[in-house]
Amino acid sequence: MKKHSLTFIIIGVVMSILITQCAPIPTTEVTIPTTEVTIPTTEVTIPTTEVIIPTTEATTPPEVSRKAIFVYAHPSDLPNLDPVGSNSNDSVVTSNCYETLTFYNPPGSADVLSPELAIRWESNVDATEWTFYLREGVTFQDGTPFNAEAVKYSIMKTKEIGAGSAYIWDSVNKIEAVDDYTVKFILSYSAPLDLIASTGYAAWIYSQQTYDQHPPEWFNEGHCAGTGPYMIESYERGSRLVMTRYENYWGGWKPGQFEKIIFDISQDPMILQQKIESGDADFTYRIPPDNIANIKANHPDIVVYTNPSFQNLLGFLNTKKPPLDNPLVRQALSYTFPYEQFIQGVMGDRATQARGVVPKGMWGHGDDLFQYSYNLDKAKDLLTQAGFPNGGLKLVMTYSTGDLDEQQLGEIWKAELAKLGIELDVQGMTWEAQWDLGKADPMKAQDIFVMYWWPDLVSPYTFLNGMFHSEETILWNLNYYSNPQYDKLIDDGNVMSGTDRQKASEMFIQAQQILLDDAVSLFFCDLSNTHLARADVKGFVDNPAYPHVVFVYKLSR
Amino acid sequence: MRWFEYLARRLLWAILVIISVSIITFTIARVIPSDPAAAWVGTHPTHEQIAKARIELGLDRPLWVQYYYYVRDLLRGNFGTSIHSHQPIASDIKTYLPATMELVLAAMFIAIVIGIPLGVLSGAKKGSILDHLTRLISIAGVSMPTFWLGLLLQLFFFGLLGILPIGSRLSNEVALNSPIDKITGFYLLDSAVTGNWVAFKDVLLHLILPSFTLATYPIGLVIRMTRSSMVEVLNENYILAARVAGIPERTVLFVLALKNAIIPTITVLGLSFVYSLTGAILVEVIFSWAGLGVYTTDAILAIDFPVIVTVTLVITIFYVLINLLLDLIQAALDPRVSLQ
Repeated sequence: MKKHSLTFIIIGVVMSILITQCAPIPTTEVTIPTTEVTIPTTEVTIPTTEVIIPTTEATTPPEVSRKAIFVYAHPSDLPNLDPVGSNSNDSVVTSNCYETLTFYNPPGSADVLSPELAIRWESNVDATEWTFYLREGVTFQDGTPFNAEAVKYSIMKTKEIGAGSAYIWDSVNKIEAVDDYTVKFILSYSAPLDLIASTGYAAWIYSQQTYDQHPPEWFNEGHCAGTGPYMIESYERGSRLVMTRYENYWGGWKPGQFEKIIFDISQDPMILQQKIESGDADFTYRIPPDNIANIKANHPDIVVYTNPSFQNLLGFLNTKKPPLDNPLVRQALSYTFPYEQFIQGVMGDRATQARGVVPKGMWGHGDDLFQYSYNLDKAKDLLTQAGFPNGGLKLVMTYSTGDLDEQQLGEIWKAELAKLGIELDVQGMTWEAQWDLGKADPMKAQDIFVMYWWPDLVSPYTFLNGMFHSEETILWNLNYYSNPQYDKLIDDGNVMSGTDRQKASEMFIQAQQILLDDAVSLFFCDLSNTHLARADVKGFVDNPAYPHVVFVYKLSR
Repeated sequence: MRWFEYLARRLLWAILVIISVSIITFTIARVIPSDPAAAWVGTHPTHEQIAKARIELGLDRPLWVQYYYYVRDLLRGNFGTSIHSHQPIASDIKTYLPATMELVLAAMFIAIVIGIPLGVLSGAKKGSILDHLTRLISIAGVSMPTFWLGLLLQLFFFGLLGILPIGSRLSNEVALNSPIDKITGFYLLDSAVTGNWVAFKDVLLHLILPSFTLATYPIGLVIRMTRSSMVEVLNENYILAARVAGIPERTVLFVLALKNAIIPTITVLGLSFVYSLTGAILVEVIFSWAGLGVYTTDAILAIDFPVIVTVTLVITIFYVLINLLLDLIQAALDPRVSLQ
């Protein structure tokens, strides 16, 4: 009897705690400040004065006001924070913690690159030797100095481990520290090392002292060792990562800049939307496209940024297997897709029709390149020339299951092809199964392979080489295209890109025209990114070279 | 001796079940079309990187050799490495499991506190309005999809009333200004043990909606099971004797009758606990609750087989052990249950 009474008392006490604790949640401060300090949005010049605010050592850390905290409601986990292996969405964190030698500027900037840890650089005539002159007075967050030895260590270590995008350094044969602040790269073949050095993965410079002392798991637990403006303070996997200022950052600190960054992880788009609308978060993305118009109309305190990304959607045509081994049939197919209807009806603001392989905004993109349009009469003419006046073809298109855009693309296209007597079998499969089928014997593979492409390294060559250069064993050339003239043109363009980017750009545009003439693939659309930020956050510039990254140091409230 | 033999026999079966599940999941993970080596390397791997990763991950070995190393590592407490995050899975499980356990235990607590009293009263007042209402609640509880209820609760308590948070385990302000010293990973416990009452209150507020959402199914089951057992027990002669002897009705119901009626409910609660471990996957995603559910969802989306296999195995172990525990409890409480 006593036992039962005790149980009920305990239950009663806990219930009463539950009820009494149900008070309203403390509201977060989201008022827009009356004074707004604006920081220049593009920082492409070398700072002439480097103001370093001395570290203030307080015995107890003061409570940071909401105004000084930048909250990024992030739609996915941050899987890998190791500066070598980081190859995914985790770049939103690493980009605030680590720095590269050069920085790839957003589209529309005067120069493609600007200085970061290197203040200037030069190469020999054939771009096989590169010399970078380093910024002085920079320290890593562990207090060790940044110098030529640190650069040599970081790049060679990344190359040695070979994880993630480490292959970008494939051309590097040897690195010499000429003096404390001069480093020389000797390449085994010509490559645009200044561009490579700006990559958002695998090009980070990190402290040898810390990296030698700790395994990659230590970094994944929430530690970093870069020269960047913010350090990781705490990390609860799957929940939240907090960064705090590195007080001795070489760029110095100005009033209005954020003291802390919180990456608040939520996979549910509705929670992300609620957080940005309520002011709990300052920045987010991956909000359902259908809700964006409503946010624009009803939330003047939220700014919606929609900008081109460097990602595009393509449909590779099987150039080895009949009937698509006939260029006339491939050209006909290129005229059957209703580009405008698809973009307006399915993609909305999220895409624009592609012009060639290289996305708009990236160097090497050709604004004057030929663009296929929806023209069934033209398609019928071409099919007649190819010997298929009444169609009668059966084609298989594969796409990645779960991607509704790709699925709808298939359904729309199927209806159009049926008008010409072509039967399109739209098959959704897991990415692995789709890729496995694509890599198998081309004669048994799909006719059309739909997929996205985005660059690891911001160079047209990654698009033109990765997807269209001849391959002995198929990996990414899922068109099975082989054209020695094309191969030579892009390889030469790549060599040229180290020394004469303008000339290289022309060669890459010429190569794209070959692909369009041969109708190797359908270039459906270039995708856009949509980001949402609170209106009181100033200085955000979307840079597709670093997808979804916010360089918080450049922002203020 | 009888107990020892029974326990040994059941443990042997449990081990066989676990081995079978490990073989099935391991084989499925290796047989279906996927390339863990390519996924390990990154977005656009080269042939050389894939070949190197295949050797590093031991994927170039025969399947049975891979299984041998897998089991050997498991016995050493090494669950392998996540392809997606490159983190040791054991360390990830250690991080995520307490969050899920906290949520599931809170849900079980709610199920007990609400389900048992309602079941008892419903059984005692069979045919009354209370009985009909309780049966309605129990049917709604077992049939309502958690994802729908979760969204509804978020809309009402966060969107409309603004009195409860929409998701996550802790608010940003509290995480920053009153961080919890992690001892067990159970935030409620850790904050209470360290006297961090600001965080305790915040954690409790964050726990209410997801735990209630997860509790609806067990509440329904517990009500139904308790009610039907009570109806049966209340017709027994000893209950009639107790009432004739003038023992207060409350004692008759909650002590004399419930003691015998609770046994099937305990079984249901145990099974609900394991069910909730997997049911928590949806609830965790809806409420951004960084537990095993969110971890598994990420793994499924990234086709991270080592993680999927390990989580399946962990849940199987829970299931087998809890089943065993339930049988032992039942045998201890009910003399009619044989250990043969």
